[in-house]
Amino acid sequence: MIQGYVSVLLTSARQQWVYRSELVARAVQMVLFMAVFMALWFTAFEVSGQSQLEGYSLAEMVWYLAMTETIVLSSSRIFLEIGEAVRAGDLAYTLARPLSYPFFQVANSLGNSAPRVLLNLLTGAGVVTVGLQQVAGSWPGLVAFLFVAALALLLDALIAVLIGLTAFWIEEVSPVYWIYNKLLFTVGGLFLPLELFPEQLQRAVRWLPFQYITYAPARTFVKFEAGFVAETVAGQAAYIGFFAGLVLLVWARAQRRLVVHGG
Amino acid sequence: MKTLRLVSGYFSHNLMSAMAYRGAFLLQAVGMILNNAMLLFFWWVLFTQLPSLRGWTLNQVMVLYAVVAFGFGLANIVCGNAFLLARIVVRGDLDYYLALPADPLIHLLVSRMSLSAWGDAVFGLVVFFVAGGEAGRHLPLFLLLGLLSGLIIVAFAVLVGSLAFWVGNADNLAGQAINSLITFGIYPIEIFPGVVQWLLYTLIPAAFIGSLPAGLLRDFRWDQLALLFLAAGGLALLARIVFQWGLRRYESGNLVIVRG
Repeated sequence: MIQGYVSVLLTSARQQWVYRSELVARAVQMVLFMAVFMALWFTAFEVSGQSQLEGYSLAEMVWYLAMTETIVLSSSRIFLEIGEAVRAGDLAYTLARPLSYPFFQVANSLGNSAPRVLLNLLTGAGVVTVGLQQVAGSWPGLVAFLFVAALALLLDALIAVLIGLTAFWIEEVSPVYWIYNKLLFTVGGLFLPLELFPEQLQRAVRWLPFQYITYAPARTFVKFEAGFVAETVAGQAAYIGFFAGLVLLVWARAQRRLVVHGG
Repeated sequence: MKTLRLVSGYFSHNLMSAMAYRGAFLLQAVGMILNNAMLLFFWWVLFTQLPSLRGWTLNQVMVLYAVVAFGFGLANIVCGNAFLLARIVVRGDLDYYLALPADPLIHLLVSRMSLSAWGDAVFGLVVFFVAGGEAGRHLPLFLLLGLLSGLIIVAFAVLVGSLAFWVGNADNLAGQAINSLITFGIYPIEIFPGVVQWLLYTLIPAAFIGSLPAGLLRDFRWDQLALLFLAAGGLALLARIVFQWGLRRYESGNLVIVRG
């Protein structure tokens, strides 16, 4: 069974590699974002007159952003495919597969993300090294980041599948995705580490799943601590279990609404 | 006059067809308002750490956001096809516009309305009233600056979309160029180093859609307004010339479509 999902993942990864121009377009986006934010953080640190903001140096802040952007720019867009399949009725032929449809899409999404992570990581690291000429993080941090980022992308894929499945109830799923995406931007800590948030907000967002997708992997890289990594993996595993259960539940309900036309 | 009738005719027709699916329309517009509002979160947190950023306070950055969002919204409400020009050229979809008596560029630009863009425009207006303070009294100036910002966005989109006449599949390239314009446009220009600032006044005219208009709402200067008019007019004229020039190289596709 697992073998089936792994081969879906590998096939999707190979497919992504064929569309190199799209991969390059995403890398250009990475360069653009990093250029803007490097300039912004340079100015912010200069204006503040401090060498650290809430424990983050300029180099750590910029590398933190490179890591969160690596994940977000590699994240799942599978909800578009699912939404379209529900609307057009293409879902019918995928049901004949010997795999669960939502988990097939999770594997598909992870396969799409894998080559992007690699490219975005190399691009981000390249831009920051050239622009900043300072390195942050550590080798253990990088290894832990790769593991935590893989779990983050699995969590993200489950949420994206859940958003895609809402197409059974609402016509257009993109606005739901925009809101999820912006939750990653804000309470997920895409642009700013959670330590910079006001105290009460910080306490509240640490309970939410979004920080496990962006903040936690990036912090793992720039400030490697074994305890923090263990806490992160436990939190990610709990949310992965929760969202996998929710996906199964929603899929069971959605199947009752499924109408397959002939043709 | 004929062009104005075409634009207003398409505007009301597009709005009516959007209203036919009111739920989807509202969901997209409200989704976009929430989407934009969350972007302000970043600035709010950053300004808890800093009093100001090279002369820009939180309220001033919000006004900058308001101008760009309102201009971007207007551009996509009235000229919803501007960002799709490269795809239209490559797929040979221009045939439809060339066969009709109306000006093909204006006709293709106004024949689509982006529904989510209503969210951008409303967001821009609301943020202006919330953050504008004293500037809130300058609503007519804000509307004019939003209009000029929108014109620059459309002209730039036509310019980069027209690349498809020469390089073929320029969809990604045009998308990236427009993305850069908006990405750089929503940050105060003073945060960038000198060379980048110069680029943002020329190659990617992002300064003209955000920082310059927002600066005018804070500290009005006739010479800066004249510069903005010159940039918007010049870019629109250049976009028109490049499109006409590219049209001579246009090869029709063999796509057969039925349009209602």
